[in-house]
Amino acid sequence: MNHLAKKLMTGSKDRKPVIGLPRALLYERYRVLWRSFFQELGAEVVISPPTTLETMERGTAIAIDEMCLSSKIFFGHVDKLIGKCDYILVPRISNFGVRRFMCTKFEGLYDVCRNIYRESDQKFLTYNVDVQHGIEEDDAFVATAAELGYARREARQAYKKAKKAESESWRKQVKKQEELYKKDGLKIMIASHSYVVSDPYIGKPITDFLEGAGVTVLRADITDRKDALKWSARFSPTMRWEISREITGGLRQNRFKVDGIILLSVFPCGPDAMVNEMLIRRNDGMPILNLMLDGQSGMAGVETRLESFVDILRLKRGEL
Amino acid sequence: MADKVDKEQQKKIAFPMYARYNLALKYFIEAGMEQKYIMQPQMTRKTMDIGTQHSPDTVCTPFKTTLGSMIEALECGANTLVMVGGPCRLEYYGELQERILRDLGYQFDFINLADNADGKVSGYVKLLRRINPKMHPTKILSGLRDGVKMIEYIDEAEREYYKNCGFEQTKGAYKRAINQFWNDLEKAKTKADIETCHHKVKEAFHGIPLKKEERLRVGVIGEYYTVQDSFSNLDLEQKLADMGVEVHRWMNFTNRNVHYSGEKNLNVRIRDLCQYEMGPTSTANIWCARDYAERGFDGLVHVKSAGCTPEIDIMPVLQNIGADYKIPILYLTYDSQTSDTGLMTRLEAFYDMLKMRKKVIR
Repeated sequence: MNHLAKKLMTGSKDRKPVIGLPRALLYERYRVLWRSFFQELGAEVVISPPTTLETMERGTAIAIDEMCLSSKIFFGHVDKLIGKCDYILVPRISNFGVRRFMCTKFEGLYDVCRNIYRESDQKFLTYNVDVQHGIEEDDAFVATAAELGYARREARQAYKKAKKAESESWRKQVKKQEELYKKDGLKIMIASHSYVVSDPYIGKPITDFLEGAGVTVLRADITDRKDALKWSARFSPTMRWEISREITGGLRQNRFKVDGIILLSVFPCGPDAMVNEMLIRRNDGMPILNLMLDGQSGMAGVETRLESFVDILRLKRGEL
Repeated sequence: MADKVDKEQQKKIAFPMYARYNLALKYFIEAGMEQKYIMQPQMTRKTMDIGTQHSPDTVCTPFKTTLGSMIEALECGANTLVMVGGPCRLEYYGELQERILRDLGYQFDFINLADNADGKVSGYVKLLRRINPKMHPTKILSGLRDGVKMIEYIDEAEREYYKNCGFEQTKGAYKRAINQFWNDLEKAKTKADIETCHHKVKEAFHGIPLKKEERLRVGVIGEYYTVQDSFSNLDLEQKLADMGVEVHRWMNFTNRNVHYSGEKNLNVRIRDLCQYEMGPTSTANIWCARDYAERGFDGLVHVKSAGCTPEIDIMPVLQNIGADYKIPILYLTYDSQTSDTGLMTRLEAFYDMLKMRKKVIR
C-alpha cells in the first residue's frame, strides 16, 4: 500500500500526527535530530517535562526492579506521555558497525515498552538502526516516516536537513567546550553518559554543586566523535560500546587539560561497570572519583564526596 | 639443555571452567593442537570469593567466577589462557580480566578471541594458531570438528539426564552412568573414543528402569552461562530433578551456537511479542518460553546473573507469556551472595505450588 492510499484511509492529511519524545536516555543525544526531522515532515512534537522525583518514582514502579536508574527514569517519562500523543518514539538502535554497539538496553527498549504497555492503547514508534545487518540510520528514518504515511523522498530530504542541523549544533557544543578548556582555575572533567550528567534530577545537581564551588565543569563526551573513537581504540581495542568509546576517547584525549576526573554512572550501568574499572586501572596519575548514583533522593552523601574531592584538587594546586 | 628450553617454552593452555565443556576443550587442545591442557579444579565457593575480590562490583557474576577460575588455572601451572568474546559484555571480559590478572602480578600469555572483531573464521584460525604455530589449519579445523561433536554428545547426555534422573527406580543409577561418561570423555584421545563414550552412555541410560506416573514438567530458561553451569546456578536442575520433576533446558552450546537457526527463524513464532532481537539470547529464550508454554509445561524457571541487561529486558515479555498461557514463572537472580538454602526454600515453595495447581486444574 502506498503512502497516498494510507493517508486517504486514515484521513491523516488534515490532522498532523503527534509524536511524543520522552526526555530521557537517548533524548539528550538526538534531540536536535528528532525534533527537526519531525518538524520538517510537518508532524507535531510533544516532549515530556524535565525529570522530577515523581518521574523517577513512577518509573521505578513501572520498570523491572533490576533495570538501571536511567531506564527507570525513562519509563517515568513514557508514562507522562501516555494518552497525550499518537505515537511515543522509542528508537531501536543496535549498532553502527563493527565494535560500535549501543548498550543492549537500546536494542530491546522498544519491545520492552510494547510489552509493558500491552494493555493500553498507546502506540509506539521506532526506527531500527542495525548497520551490521545493513540498516543505516538514514534508511531507518525514511522507513519510519513511510510508516507514518509520508513520501520517501520527502522523508529523505527531512532527514538530510535534520542531520545537518544536528551536526551544526554539535559543532557549536564542541566549540563551546573547547573554550572552557582554556579557562583558568580549577577544572574537572565528568565522564558520563549524556543522559546521566544532563538529567535535571540526577546529574544537574552535581554539575550545579561543582559550579557553585567555583569549578569549571567539562564533559568528556562532548568532543569530536570520530577522533574519540580513534583514541578509544588505541586505549582499549575490544571495547564495544559506541557511547562508552566516545566518553573514553574524549577523556583520554583531554585528560591533561583538567585537574581531576569524575566518573559518574548510575546503578547498575552495564557498560560503565567494566569501562570505569578499566579507566581507573589504567589511569596515569590523574585524581579520579568514581561516583555511582542510585536513586536515593538525599544529596548530602554525594555533596560530601564532591566537596572533599574539590578540596584535594585545590590542595594539590596549592590554593588551599 | 635443548630439552630444558623446550620444556620451559611448552605451552600449557587453560580456559575458565564452563559447565562440562572443558572436557571438549581439553580434547581439542591435546588432539587438535598437540599442546598440553591444564584442567583446573571444579569451581567452588573459594573460586567465587577470589574472583569477586578482584572484580568490579556491578559486573555480572560470570565475570567474577571465570576470573577466579583463571587464577586457579594459573596456580595449577597454566601459562597460556584462552578467553572467548561474545555478543554482550562478554566481548569485553577478556581484555579487562587480562588487565586485572597482570595488575595482580601473574605472568602468562593471553589469547583473546574477542580480538577478532569481524568474527570471520580465518581470524579465529589465526588466533588459534598462536597456541601451536606449527599446526596446519586443516588439522586445527578437524580437531575443532571432533571437539564440537563431543560438545553435542555432552549436551545430549545432560538433556537425557535431567529429564529422567528424578524418576529412576534405583537411586543413583543415572548419576553413576553420567559420572562414568565424564570419566571416559576425559580419557578420549581419538574420534573413535568419543563415539564409544557416546554409545556407552546411551546404552547405560537405556538400561535404567524409570517410574513416571505423575510428572511435573519444568522448563529452565535464561542467561547463557548461568543457566548452563551447574556451579553458577547452584545445581538448580539437579535440585528440581530430585523433587521428581522432569527438567527441560533448551539453552546449551549445541542449540545456541552449533545448530542455531538464527534470529530470523526463531522470531517467526514470537513476532507479536517482540519485533526485533532484544539481546544476544533474548529471541531464543522468548521463543523457548512460548514453546514450553504451548506444550503445556507446568512451570518455567528463568535464571540470570545479577545485572544481566538482556535477560532483565525480556522479563516484561515473559510476564506477558505467563499471563497469556497461565503458566507460573519463577525468576531467579544469582549473584556472589546467593545461598543454597535460600534457593532451596524458593524451589520447594515453587514445587508445592505447581503440585497443588496441577491437582486443582486437572
